[in-house]
Order: sequence, then C-alpha cells, then structure tokens
Amino acid sequence: MSSRERRRGVYKVPGGKLVAVEFAVVDGLLHDVVVTGDFFLYPEEALPVLSVAIEGALATESRNALAARIAAAIPEGVELVGASPEALAIAVDRGLHPAEPEAAP
Amino acid sequence: MSEMSQAQIERWRALDWKLIPGAPTEPLLNMALDEVLAERVGRGERAPTLCVWGWSRPCVVLGRFQSVRNEVDEDAAAMHGVQIVRRISGGGAMFIEPEGAITWSIYAPQDLVQGMTFAESYAHFDSWVVAALRELGLDAWYEPLNDITSSGGKIGGAAQSRRSGAVLHHTTMAYDMNIPLMTQVLRIGREKLSDKGVKSADRRVGPLRQQTSLPRQAIIDHMVNRFATQFGLQPDALSSEEIAEAEARVRDRFGADSWIHYLP
Repeated sequence: MSSRERRRGVYKVPGGKLVAVEFAVVDGLLHDVVVTGDFFLYPEEALPVLSVAIEGALATESRNALAARIAAAIPEGVELVGASPEALAIAVDRGLHPAEPEAAP
Repeated sequence: MSEMSQAQIERWRALDWKLIPGAPTEPLLNMALDEVLAERVGRGERAPTLCVWGWSRPCVVLGRFQSVRNEVDEDAAAMHGVQIVRRISGGGAMFIEPEGAITWSIYAPQDLVQGMTFAESYAHFDSWVVAALRELGLDAWYEPLNDITSSGGKIGGAAQSRRSGAVLHHTTMAYDMNIPLMTQVLRIGREKLSDKGVKSADRRVGPLRQQTSLPRQAIIDHMVNRFATQFGLQPDALSSEEIAEAEARVRDRFGADSWIHYLP
C-alpha cells in the first residue's frame, strides 16, 4: 500500500451531514489529506485543523484510534456541527477499503 | 416543536429590525453582501436586519466546504448559463433560479442565541418562518439539523455563520423546481441518495408552488408581514458604502478562482 493513487471515502451521518476525505497512502501513512462535505464548522477558517489531524496517520490505524486522534486535534472553541471525528474516521476507512461491501441498509 | 417562548419573542422585539427587500442582484454580490452585512451588524454599524434576496441569474451556491467537482458538472453549468459561486457558510449546494427560490438572511447580534447549541439556534432562527408557513395551511415543521419540511416534502434548508459578534442565518426555500436542469448541473451523490432512499416518503422535495398554489411574491409578503407583526420591522435599503464594500470583496475574493475553486 504505497501508491500515490488518490483515495476517497465518503460517509453520510444518519440525520446529519456528509463528509468526504481524499488522500494518498505513502509508505503506510495518509498524505495530502483534503476534507470536504456539507457539514458545518465554526469558525469556518478552522477547516485545515481536520486535514492536519488526519495527515500522517497510519493507514492501519483503527477507526476508533483515528477518531480519537481527530478529536484530540480539534482545539477548544472549534466546533464541528452535523459531523464528528467518528464520521471522518469512517470516511477514511471507506477510502482505504473501497472493495468491502457496505453493511446492509 | 421549536416554537419561541414569550421571553425569546421579547428579546427579538427589543431589537430595531430593518428590512432590505429583494432586488435582483448578481449572485457574487449576494455572497459578498452576506459577509459585509453580518460584519456591520456585529460591529453595531447596522441595525439587525432581515434581507430578502433577489437573484439576477441562475446559479449554484456551494457550501463553504464543498468540492466543486463533487457537486457540480461545470460543463453542463456553463452550457446552461448557470454560474457557480461559493458562500461563506457551510452546508450543502443550492440550485437557484431567480423565480424558483425564496432566499433570505437574518443578521443579528450573537446574544440572541446565547446559551443555545448550534442545533437549537438553527431551529430558533427559522421558527417564525415555520409559523408563517402554517398560517398558509401547511403542516410545516423544523427537521434538525437545518431543514424546513412538511408532509408535502422538504421545503428548504438553512446555514449559519458567525462573524464579529453577529449571527448570519440564511435560508433558501424551493418555490418551483426545474428538476431536469437541476439534475444536469448538480451531481447528487450516491451516499446522499441512499440516505434519502431510506426515508424517501418524507424526504422528497415539496416546492411551495406545489404545496400552496400561491404566487412567489405572496408567500414572501406573508413571511415579511409575519416577521413585522411579531418582532417589528422598518423598511431600509443597502447604503452606498455597503454596496461599494461588497463590490470590492467580489473583485478581491468572492469572484476569484481561489475562492470558488478553494476546494476543487
């Protein structure tokens, strides 16, 4: 898993908003992370906090560990609304494992 | 339900609300005016304001954090003369045609939502609209986080931003929908459709023309009257300074590729 190929994972929070995470995997680490979606973030200028939190994470990291890493990176006074660190971690997971069938609806 | 308490109504009534009626405006100028007016209300240079928007041409308004290519078919948009603009608040893309949408912004001091969660403040700022729609015979309600809906389908969605001590709350409701054009220009994601598929019966869009049979302007007039009766509202207009400041921001930022394609 060390191609520069861009990966993209998307997750729609039930009753919430959609988050998409794009990245490359280089030497087992997540790189060039871009977070997009129709969520809300206050203040809006804090968007880079989310991609920086994911940048450099191990591609083998568990969803829970990645969610904890993202949660820890969000400073006091920055609020994610309609999405969550867990939602971002699920989107990353889906980008890493696109072939896995989705859970039945 | 998110009806306002008497104390909340009093807090709104205590403000000296101004109305800017909608005149057809370039989409890019609307994007910039939203920021300029929010900042001016936050700094106390303008009284709290309800601004009804007019659109001079069709456009897609992207949310602050959306990727252009994931939301829009740019070739199809160009072919149909649909402009692509990006607003300052988060949330989802809106497909706007001048006579097809009803859009307004409220600029208010942030103390109006003191102690509320973001989710509560979304419902709070649209509760007068839900009441106005009910007076028109709809069984409208607020669907968290940011939707206005009824048994006839989803009617509209809101977004909020906070700027220099002000809350900007803007909402767009569908009046009439050109679904063939919208589906050519907007890419409706598979994830989103699957979510809507789960609750397709109550998530379908129900434009107000279909739900009320009223002219667009009659709905706007009713909403504005409801606001005026409940909270007080004085007619106002944009100042030449406000327009000049917004035009400068269109040149420097909102019209620039670095803003519109900020997330390609």
